Amino acid sequence: MSSLGNPKGNGQAYWRSLDEVADTPEFRSFMHREFPSGASEMLEGSDRRHFLRIMGASMALAGMGVGGCRRWPEEKIVPYANRPAGTMPGEARYYASMLELGGAASGILVTSYDGRPTKIEGNTAHPTGHGSATAFTQASILDLYDPDRGRSIIDRLENPKEPRPSNWSAFQDWATPHFEGVATAQGAGLWFLSEATYSPSVQRLQRAIRKRFPKATWVTWEPLADTAAAAGLNHAFSGDWRTQHDLSHADVIVSFDCDFLGQHPEELQLSKQWAKGRRPKMDQGHAHMNRVFVAEPTLTITGCSADERYALTPHAITVLAARVAAKVTGDSSIAAPFESSGIQTPQVDAIVADLKSHAGSSVLMAGSRQPRFVHHLCALMNQELGNAGKTVSYVKLPPKPMTSGSIQELAGAMKAGQVKTLVMIGGNPAYDSPAELEFAARMKHVPTAIHLSRDDNETSQLCSWHLNRTHPLEAWSDGRAWDGTYSIRQPLILPLFEGRSTIEFLAMIAGEKTTDGFDIVRSTEAEVTGATTEATAFSPRWRSLLHDGLLKDSAWQTDTPRVDAGSVGRGAEATAKAMSGDTGTVAVFAGDYSVYDGRFANNGWLQELPDPITKLTWDNAVIIGPAHARTLGVQTGDMVRVKVGSASVESAALVETGQAPGVITLPLGYGRRFEGRVSYNSGFDFYPLRNSDAMWSVPAKVEKISGSYVLARTQDHWSMDKVSGQGIEQRLPTIFREADVTTWEKDPHFAGSLGHTVHSLSLWDDTLQFEGARFKWGMSIDLSACTGCGACVVACQAENNIPIVGKDQVRMGREMSWLRIDRYFRFKETSPGVFSTDLPERVAIQPMTCQMCENAPCEQVCPVAATVHSTDGLNVMVYNRCVGTRYCSNNCPYKVRRFNYFDYFRRDPLRETGMLQVQPSYYVRRQSGGDPLRRMQFNPEVTVRMRGVMEKCTFCTQRIEAAKIKAKNAWVKKPQAEKAEGIRLTIPDGTVTPACAQTCATEAIVFGDLMDADSQVSKAHRDGRSYELLGELNVKPRNRYLARVYNAVEGERHPEDFHHGHGGHSTGSDSSHPAEGNHH
Amino acid sequence: MGRYHFVFPRWSNLLLPAVIVFALTAPPYVVLMVAWGFSPKTTDVGYMPTQPVPFSHAVHAGELGIDCRYCHNTVEYSAMAAIPPTQTCMNCHLQVHPNSEKLEPLFKSYETGLPVEWIRVHDLPDYAYFNHAAHINRGVSCVECHGRIDTMEVVHQVKTLSMKWCLDCHREPEPHLRNPDLVTQLEWGWAMTDAERLAEGTKWSEINQLQPSQDCSTCHR
Repeated sequence: MSSLGNPKGNGQAYWRSLDEVADTPEFRSFMHREFPSGASEMLEGSDRRHFLRIMGASMALAGMGVGGCRRWPEEKIVPYANRPAGTMPGEARYYASMLELGGAASGILVTSYDGRPTKIEGNTAHPTGHGSATAFTQASILDLYDPDRGRSIIDRLENPKEPRPSNWSAFQDWATPHFEGVATAQGAGLWFLSEATYSPSVQRLQRAIRKRFPKATWVTWEPLADTAAAAGLNHAFSGDWRTQHDLSHADVIVSFDCDFLGQHPEELQLSKQWAKGRRPKMDQGHAHMNRVFVAEPTLTITGCSADERYALTPHAITVLAARVAAKVTGDSSIAAPFESSGIQTPQVDAIVADLKSHAGSSVLMAGSRQPRFVHHLCALMNQELGNAGKTVSYVKLPPKPMTSGSIQELAGAMKAGQVKTLVMIGGNPAYDSPAELEFAARMKHVPTAIHLSRDDNETSQLCSWHLNRTHPLEAWSDGRAWDGTYSIRQPLILPLFEGRSTIEFLAMIAGEKTTDGFDIVRSTEAEVTGATTEATAFSPRWRSLLHDGLLKDSAWQTDTPRVDAGSVGRGAEATAKAMSGDTGTVAVFAGDYSVYDGRFANNGWLQELPDPITKLTWDNAVIIGPAHARTLGVQTGDMVRVKVGSASVESAALVETGQAPGVITLPLGYGRRFEGRVSYNSGFDFYPLRNSDAMWSVPAKVEKISGSYVLARTQDHWSMDKVSGQGIEQRLPTIFREADVTTWEKDPHFAGSLGHTVHSLSLWDDTLQFEGARFKWGMSIDLSACTGCGACVVACQAENNIPIVGKDQVRMGREMSWLRIDRYFRFKETSPGVFSTDLPERVAIQPMTCQMCENAPCEQVCPVAATVHSTDGLNVMVYNRCVGTRYCSNNCPYKVRRFNYFDYFRRDPLRETGMLQVQPSYYVRRQSGGDPLRRMQFNPEVTVRMRGVMEKCTFCTQRIEAAKIKAKNAWVKKPQAEKAEGIRLTIPDGTVTPACAQTCATEAIVFGDLMDADSQVSKAHRDGRSYELLGELNVKPRNRYLARVYNAVEGERHPEDFHHGHGGHSTGSDSSHPAEGNHH
Repeated sequence: MGRYHFVFPRWSNLLLPAVIVFALTAPPYVVLMVAWGFSPKTTDVGYMPTQPVPFSHAVHAGELGIDCRYCHNTVEYSAMAAIPPTQTCMNCHLQVHPNSEKLEPLFKSYETGLPVEWIRVHDLPDYAYFNHAAHINRGVSCVECHGRIDTMEVVHQVKTLSMKWCLDCHREPEPHLRNPDLVTQLEWGWAMTDAERLAEGTKWSEINQLQPSQDCSTCHR
């Protein structure tokens, strides 16, 4: 890496990307241009003459358009013929429901307008999320309106090459005699392959299937399932067990490659509990917060938030776990077999000391990439430390109702020709099953295969029948949350394309009397609750179940069985033997933060959601560390070949910091062969490198090959600074402020002393601007609690009708998301001006959205007053006034304004050629532009913006207005005497929540009324950690950040930050504290 | 003739002043005509489409005195004053005029369950978010925007519904306010003098502490 001149030479600097440290021409160009290169140019192929032609044509059309005498076309009002009781046209209604991912149900609350579901949020009553939701859960609504969904049943019985559209009655006519034949053979040769599910209805139907087909086998396949954990707990306790964590009492958290904040079935709950211990508290004169140790091979969300992060190969993490376990348990035989490996592990003593001093309030976790031995060790250590029953407990999983098998057994039977009928429910094994099974090839040996699936995907295309599966919002079902809470799924809309749900389909195969989803779920409910009679649709029991979406106190019984310590020594020896030898490059597989295992590949919101670490959109790539890349001669965007055994995949490379030495990361889920308008041609498929014996890490060879690939990353976009690149090195530490907890203990107001003095003298009376204001809306973002998961970005996109723009537009810096998450790296300065970029010292994560400046720079430059202030203090954007000068974005110091270069939602996909050609065809395809199905997701409370207007965060002004109107309507109805007393109209704190704050699992974003001194946001603004971003510009932002506090073993990492100021005029106090925030 | 053959005749001297007069008057004329022609007053006021059922508000709301909220029952609670479902009409029309030919579309809707498609008269642009409940509860009567619906045989638009017209009232609401309990009594106040009407409006503005917002985000989101 080249060196970078640092005028101040004080060594502290955050870097947005490796390009920035290297100061490449590309980065320079981003920094010096207001909009990234090309952003202000017409699309490729459109020169000026072409533009004039288009303009001429549009004028001619405009002339013809003014024919009628009314300004807009006649509009119809279509009332109900018979309006259901209690409904009001145009008003949102909310229904509790459930989504299942990887066998764990999460409670959701679905917003529906006039029978049209528009948004998924977390269910506040549900124990899994308490009102928060992951990016995956929220983006699922888009799958409902995916124009590429399967629209009919497809019959490939006669000729696989010529699929024929069919219907359910044709399938039924075929299936009834077929399954009768299978039943007479006792179900021999009948196999089921399903996604993981703990649905009680499915289990009940499985029992019915076993009765009808005693010899049938049920296989569950989830490519990202944590099978090592199940195996480890089986060793520890024997049987099917599952771990339940409670991090709210955990002061020391040790993660052996467990991404518990990013990819974990319990993610929301763990994030919430982790954040609780993350905010520093003063307890009897001592600062108190939790400490997180993370050992991981590649940078994850959890690693970014760790206090101590060790970048180790998967093997080294195993050794680390064994050494820690040996000292914790005092049984040196655990670590002994690994001593010959020569693997160095850091800070074992510090970890052990911390664990021992926090016995009973610590927790050890292991991730899916670790062998079962490590999971077993964690159970043992948690028991020895007295954590079991406090921070960790276990639940025994219900017995499996059918003969179960693994996908390997299924593939073996397929090869041997023993599989006569294969029924697949969801999933996509032809794409994501272990490579050595050659699943797709072996499908040829299966005479009859049926796939119930949302779309006609890679697997469906090899089957005799593709059956349309309903979207979860279209059908009845039930499920169990991670802790076992019985949750109900209710449909919000009739199946759009005559699909059937899993339980309806299984009931049909089982030959049940009723195949109606509603009846099946109610029969199961009676069984689960132990009721003697089935609930009628109107019984209070059923109504309350539907209302809550779950049955209270129905979680599985937790237990703390004794760990079988005897077999640990044997496990250590076996594990040490298995990992002997190889010291070369190791490839680790990872589930993707955007597309999970590939099932969300056709979801535009998720494809365009930047990866939290690499900020890559629309693709995946082989992630290689900087030093490793130098030895390979590889740069970001170069093509490389990754070889595992005899299999090889050619892929783009992406150089990113934080990789353990010799580790390359292969994110799964891209390179789908399914021709969806979003998924096609995006990324690379690494499943061919994944085998049953090495599901998560494998020795690999990487070599550079010719060619390059264009990756669309957002990391250098919207570079936040007032004077482009100059002085960015000094400013970044004041943009993202953090300190060790020891520093915070000495000076809880440290964040103020890191900034610049604000000269807050004003030429006019500032109070005049907000004269008569009844509310003062403000926001606070706690950097200690933010994990950077990206759920808020998707929430914003769903709430505010924000378009996706496609890969090429992202490359030009035209992404539209109102809320972005900035990610900076802090590198160690090895010698003056030279930084070691292989491992980040700290990773800073900062959500960035409109700061609602009271003294807004954007408003001062708008020539048409299209952006102005409201009395409540919102910086509002008036789309109809905007003429698209983009001066406001130019003058915004935070770079949070977005311009509609195209009419992303209405683009007519037919105009691909000719005089009115508007864009390349692929781009239209990605947009799903003009598709009426996609439009059904729109939030009717928010304007769909046209081409040529600027837009930005509104603090969800539609929610504020709705709350204000509701509160005032109620207030007006009060008796006159009460009103005469002059009681101020107030909106209770917590009533108005923007979409981002609502979905945040860690409650990092807080919103409310600053006039109310007791509101959460007022308290946050008074907190000592609170600071204004770029406060020295005197823009008076209404959003304040709370500085991050970490808890490193060796204390303050960057004392130099606090010895002197930056930019020359630090005074040690921050006069930008709000007037009511008198903290001294 | 001779050399004067190619000289412009004397009257052509008048062309110059004529051109000047034309140049001065034509552009304002065009601007004014376009402004007048495109103004909501011209394009929208008086808009009276023919509805599928010749429903008479004069008969129902005026003669029979049915309260507006009998049919538009969501108006106090929701942004929209919902057009009633067919069921509401049939509450009476199962007995009253059960064989009327004019009501044929209604009976058909009742039998098939398919809605009657009414034509929207008061049509705001999609980027303007008007809220009925917010106005009705504060004492802005239906009549202030919709006119004397109770005397209309066929509903037509009376006010411009332009942004200026909205803001006029938001800036000076008093002449348009009344006791919230009387909002559906459209004939109320017509006999009062302007001063009496203003005094009444001011009283209710004070009681309910009304401060109509003029922020853009109040109506545009």
